[in-house]
Amino acid sequence: MGLALKELLYSKGRFIMIGLIIVLISWLVFILSGLGTGLSTLSTGVLSEAEYSGIVLEEGSEFSLSKSSVNRSLTEKVSEQEGVTDTTPMSIFRNSVRKEGAEDAEDKITDIVLIGLEPDSFMEPNIIKGEAWSNSDENQVIADESLENDGYKIGDTVVLDNTDKELTIVGFTENKTLYHQSALYLPMENFQNLRPSSPDDADVEETVSGIVVQGTDVNLETFLEDEENVEYGTKEETIEGIPGYVAENATIMLMLWFLMIISAFILGVFFYVLTNQKTNQFGVLKAIGGSNGFIIRSVISQVFILSLVSILVGIGLTYLTVLALPESMPFYLESNMVIIYSLVLLAISVLSSLFSVAKITKIDPLTALGRAE
Amino acid sequence: MSGIELKNVTKRYKENKFEITALENVSVQVKAGEFVAIVGPSGSGKSTFLSIAGALLKPTEGSIMINNQNITDFDEKQLSSVRLNQIGFILQTANLIPYLTVLDQLLIVKKMQGTVTKEDKAFALELLKDLGLENKEKKYPNECSGGERQRVAIARSFMNDPDIILADEPTSSLDTDRGHEVVQQMAEQVKTRNKAAIMVTHDERMLSYCDRVYRIVDGKLSEEVRTQEV
Repeated sequence: MGLALKELLYSKGRFIMIGLIIVLISWLVFILSGLGTGLSTLSTGVLSEAEYSGIVLEEGSEFSLSKSSVNRSLTEKVSEQEGVTDTTPMSIFRNSVRKEGAEDAEDKITDIVLIGLEPDSFMEPNIIKGEAWSNSDENQVIADESLENDGYKIGDTVVLDNTDKELTIVGFTENKTLYHQSALYLPMENFQNLRPSSPDDADVEETVSGIVVQGTDVNLETFLEDEENVEYGTKEETIEGIPGYVAENATIMLMLWFLMIISAFILGVFFYVLTNQKTNQFGVLKAIGGSNGFIIRSVISQVFILSLVSILVGIGLTYLTVLALPESMPFYLESNMVIIYSLVLLAISVLSSLFSVAKITKIDPLTALGRAE
Repeated sequence: MSGIELKNVTKRYKENKFEITALENVSVQVKAGEFVAIVGPSGSGKSTFLSIAGALLKPTEGSIMINNQNITDFDEKQLSSVRLNQIGFILQTANLIPYLTVLDQLLIVKKMQGTVTKEDKAFALELLKDLGLENKEKKYPNECSGGERQRVAIARSFMNDPDIILADEPTSSLDTDRGHEVVQQMAEQVKTRNKAAIMVTHDERMLSYCDRVYRIVDGKLSEEVRTQEV
């Protein structure tokens, strides 16, 4: 360790260059990961940011809330099933809104997803600004903060397209988007009034998109056998059921892992060249009795220190970059992802130095006797 | 007997279809406190001799005894340990590690053996002082002169308190004055610390410091009969 550190400090210039490569790679990995998660949150936030085990949906809906409708009366029955601790009906409905009084075509229309929930249920979003629904008569809504970036404020009244019904924004929540659209949450009671319905649909009041289930080791087998036309999707399945999510996510992940693999090779080559340059030194160490283990430990601990410092710098740069990113750009970096990717990068650089280890064991101490330099 | 003994050592290399005999039936014995020189032109087998004596190379025939221990059939790991604990190497052009200070050059030997104690550090400083290197311990090799570097290499070779000191052309990169100084100090250390030392050189001027001189020509070793003791 001492030897490794002394060399790092002595040959600063050389190591700063290699460190810089690691910094840039980790920076890119974190940015890409943040953008990827940001993008998928944009597509899944309402579901992925909530804590639940699964959703009871209509059979054939392919785990997609937007294609599903079930009767809310099932809620009670679901609650009684094995492992279920809590349930809440949830409805979604895609529409668009514009600001009140701006009916001419010039004014901006914003696509949104209306979400109906029982007040005080576990799916209710956390408020970061303003307050939650207080009076259910007034069509109060909690909006995602992305609407704030679009110019909407607390107290604004928005008009729902086609129905001309008015909603008032009372609070903002964060990261609650679905299908790349901002979510507007409102109490289920009001939601049912807003939904356009055909008059012959008698039990429209009773129809919801799905019943969200919370619990551990949820077992709905008996329930599913009894009921027709329903199916159960786990949290993962319902997120993957969101149109476009899987393809989108796969693209980002592919880029990310390709970057990792390429960086492993780049770093491997760097460390190999570095080791090659030091063949004579290692020969001398071996001639005066240094074992392979001693030299290899020294090289690996050097790579470890260098990578660790560089990755930390990369993390720092990433958070600085976040400050400079425009609000409209979805960026969402979870600290556990930062830890995972840091460990992966650290492992990659240490593993890539193993090329050099093979080289070190082959160095003949006789080189030290050669006419050096 | 503490010291080093080579018995009937022969080393042959295969080069293409020809076999080259680098050393032929060489026997030599160096006891503790003796300083022996091996002199010969380039290509005479000096380096091969030193490599075999220094546990870096295995002979084709014959045996090597270090402190009465036959190391001929040792594997690479055991040889490495012999080099670490029983042999001190003084390499041509010093071959110091560029990023270590003079003091660290010595302590690295201890570090390779395990840990560096306070006593080790005191011993290193004493060696540096004996070789006239006090106040240089914080310098890097590129801040030292050629003679200083070579003296650091001598100090390093004594650091593990070996029984055998082997020097490979220690004066090759030095001028006459520096050369004399370095070899003289080496001889002094060998005597005061009672080591068996072998110096391979082609520098005839340095032979006066040695107890015995061997000539090596085409792989054959013969002791020079000295007419006059120095």
